[in-house]
Amino acid sequence: MSEVYSPTSEQDVQTFVHSCFLEGSPIEVMGFGSKAIGREIQCSKTLKLQKLDGIIEYFPDELYIKVKPGTSLELIENTLEQKNQELSFEPSDLGYLYKGKSLKGSAGAAVACNLSGSRRFKAGALRDHLLGFRAVNGKGEVIKSGGSVVKNVTGYDVSKLISGSYGTLGVITEIIFKVQPRYDESQTLIIYDLNLKKALNVFSQSMQTSYEISGACYYPEGMASFFTLNDIDTNSSITALRVEGPKISVSERIKSLKKLFSDHQNIFVLENYQSRIFWKSTSDISFFNNSENTVVKISLPPVFTEEFLQQFTNEDIKFVVDWAGNLIWIEIAKEDSVLLRQLRKKVINFNGHLTIMKAPTHVRIREDFLTVVDENMKKLSLRIKDSFDPKGILNPGKMYSGL
Amino acid sequence: MTTLLMPEVDQRVLFDKEKIVSDLKKFTNSNNIISDSEGVTPYETDALSAYKQKPMIVVLPENTEEVSDILKYCNENNIKVVPRGAGTGLSGGALPLKDCVLLSLTKFKKILEVDYENRCVVTQPGVTNLSITKAVEDRGFYYAPDPSSQIACSIGGNIAENSGGVHCLKYGMTTNNVLGVEIVLMDGTILRFGGKKIESEGYDLLGLITGSEGLLGVLTEVTVKILKKPQSVKALLLGFDSIEEAGKTVSDIISGGVIPAAMEIMDKPLIKATNDYSKAGYPLDVEAILIVELDGTESEVGVLITKVEQIAQKNKVKYLRASKDDEERLRFWLGRKAAFPAIGDMSPDYLCMDGVIPRKKLPEVLKEINKLSKKYNLRVANCFHAGDGNLHPLIMFDSNIPAELKKAEDFGADILKLCVQSGGVLSGEHGIGIEKRELMCEMFNNEDIQQQLSIKKAFDEKSLLNPGKVYPILHRCAEGGKMHVKTGEEKFKDIPRF
Repeated sequence: MSEVYSPTSEQDVQTFVHSCFLEGSPIEVMGFGSKAIGREIQCSKTLKLQKLDGIIEYFPDELYIKVKPGTSLELIENTLEQKNQELSFEPSDLGYLYKGKSLKGSAGAAVACNLSGSRRFKAGALRDHLLGFRAVNGKGEVIKSGGSVVKNVTGYDVSKLISGSYGTLGVITEIIFKVQPRYDESQTLIIYDLNLKKALNVFSQSMQTSYEISGACYYPEGMASFFTLNDIDTNSSITALRVEGPKISVSERIKSLKKLFSDHQNIFVLENYQSRIFWKSTSDISFFNNSENTVVKISLPPVFTEEFLQQFTNEDIKFVVDWAGNLIWIEIAKEDSVLLRQLRKKVINFNGHLTIMKAPTHVRIREDFLTVVDENMKKLSLRIKDSFDPKGILNPGKMYSGL
Repeated sequence: MTTLLMPEVDQRVLFDKEKIVSDLKKFTNSNNIISDSEGVTPYETDALSAYKQKPMIVVLPENTEEVSDILKYCNENNIKVVPRGAGTGLSGGALPLKDCVLLSLTKFKKILEVDYENRCVVTQPGVTNLSITKAVEDRGFYYAPDPSSQIACSIGGNIAENSGGVHCLKYGMTTNNVLGVEIVLMDGTILRFGGKKIESEGYDLLGLITGSEGLLGVLTEVTVKILKKPQSVKALLLGFDSIEEAGKTVSDIISGGVIPAAMEIMDKPLIKATNDYSKAGYPLDVEAILIVELDGTESEVGVLITKVEQIAQKNKVKYLRASKDDEERLRFWLGRKAAFPAIGDMSPDYLCMDGVIPRKKLPEVLKEINKLSKKYNLRVANCFHAGDGNLHPLIMFDSNIPAELKKAEDFGADILKLCVQSGGVLSGEHGIGIEKRELMCEMFNNEDIQQQLSIKKAFDEKSLLNPGKVYPILHRCAEGGKMHVKTGEEKFKDIPRF
């Protein structure tokens, strides 16, 4: 059984990591421990950041919020909402995927996993909204980068490197997020009964307009049945386009989109309230609620999305496409390693990658979590890891074997 | 010119110059190698022209393999390499070293692919920023980051410096608009970070190398995101009786939920200078001008203009005009974009600073700058990218007066320290280079700097690629921080700087 330590200050984290560095003891770093993301690892010590929590400062007119890593995303989002602001990368609530209920997790874990929702292709990923951070590296030294201002070319942009590094480079002790005004209005144009090819065409056409689409997803027939929204027909396939902004502008753009797609018979508009629920559920991967199977995330250039999926039409897979065709969520049977490897092999051919988001422990032990193609990339990544954590004590092996 | 400590010159390399030249001819056409003193002179400085140093050899490779072979050779033979794009950088990032091979990427000037389906452009790094927009504008697309030197600066250089522009608040910096690169490391390894897909996995090396000032690798191909142009763009020209009112208006606009495409403040000395120079027709009886540009659909811009007007009125705006058409909007910008040459007209020399501060600190920072102006007895004019807090004070001086350059540099360093003390940073868009190198300790402690230096080692074990830039050589805090412009000597003086 791993020894769990819950620090309450940066100083505590520093002292703990420093002593582990001296002993060479590996540490598993976690926030609330709500997501089993990454390779399954065994460490003699666990550092749980849940108690290192709280909002340090929030200046709405400076568009940033500074928090400790154990602060719940829920608290952050509620605080921002009071000032009509939000984190515009729409952090996903992976609680639905993992536990079948809302469990937003901590800010530190969101940064470590670089998790971004449906607005990602327009607003950027979490990494684009991390202005600065403080962390303790694998030697037990406090390091920092960035600041609270949006424009900053002062040394390497280590904030980018720390986002999505799954706790392998440093234990985050302070986070500065950029915040943005919440849009007044959200509306969603829904086109029913399209096949994937036509849906991707709709994405492509709408992305060539100046209507500033901020959500574009596709649910094949049967995949939307989990929605409980009154206005949605969940028996058909759903192609959805979101538009956000001042109400007058949203209505105008929706009208233009309706005109653009007037060839399609079955068009419907989700108004503000339902539109927001629709996209929250999509960002939260609610379609694979409490999945007991293997759920993977595939990112590839959108022109290849259809061709890629076509190769698996005879297989038992469930999928949803998001990010205007840039992202495919796929669920496969938990025992099906052959299919998992085939998916990964094909995705590499299309210059994409596959990340395992949820899988039973034995799959997590056996299969690669991320996709490494280039040996030289792996070598460089190892050297970077070494520059932060020379003894390899922080989440060792979480991303790749040896990293 | 003030003296600058640079890495120790390797006499052995200088001694072997002829052999190195002949070896380099194995990797690229001999016409691409310049080694005579006159031939290398155009490369002796970038746009921070106060500092000059002729490189030992200039090489202009033509493809990725050549870059890889040259870097590998230099790495094996312990020869320093300084990469260079268009040479428009303002912080001395491309300043050569006496014993270096200067690697100029100017032959990488082809746009390789315009891909509307994936909404991106694949290009060689020597292509200018503006050419990317030119290549896609007939279909109504553009490349968002617009540094003022966009007609001349290269996209590779933009990535090295994480360039900004006036539209950063809404559209982000270079880092938010690059999708992928092909990069060659100092040991010759060719790698690809990112690509046409919008998200990569593993460490975000693309994010790390953006803004790394040519210290981690040499770019040989770039993929950038393109956006559809907004339907409508309008601007408001607002005049206030005080900087405080202008600053408060900016804060109220943002906390009111409006993110304009651009917001710019000019103080009274700059209003007068730019108006005299460009005849922009600015009101002269005000203490501060605020230009607010809004974009979106027609109706959206209409709503936003009204909202901003109301906020301005609440803050006692004295002069208010909304652009009636594009011509008038561009006239609002005319003076602002002429800020640098206008100051050049007023003073024999000036230094342009590039600090960032929290927006709300503007009035107090400007008050302090004015106090410093009196202390140093040097004039200063200020322009401010108010949306993102990027302040460009222009310090006027005369280098013919003994010790006045040193005085101006000290004044500049004090301003940057003030920015950091106010919660800001040393550079918003010009980079650290050699210009602000010694001030890095104002922001970072030794552990921060050591961490960054060890990242450098992961990419370039022997520290041969662009050494002496960004990080203080002796890790000490000294004074520095300036872009010195001598009248008539400004590099790329025809480029509007803003």
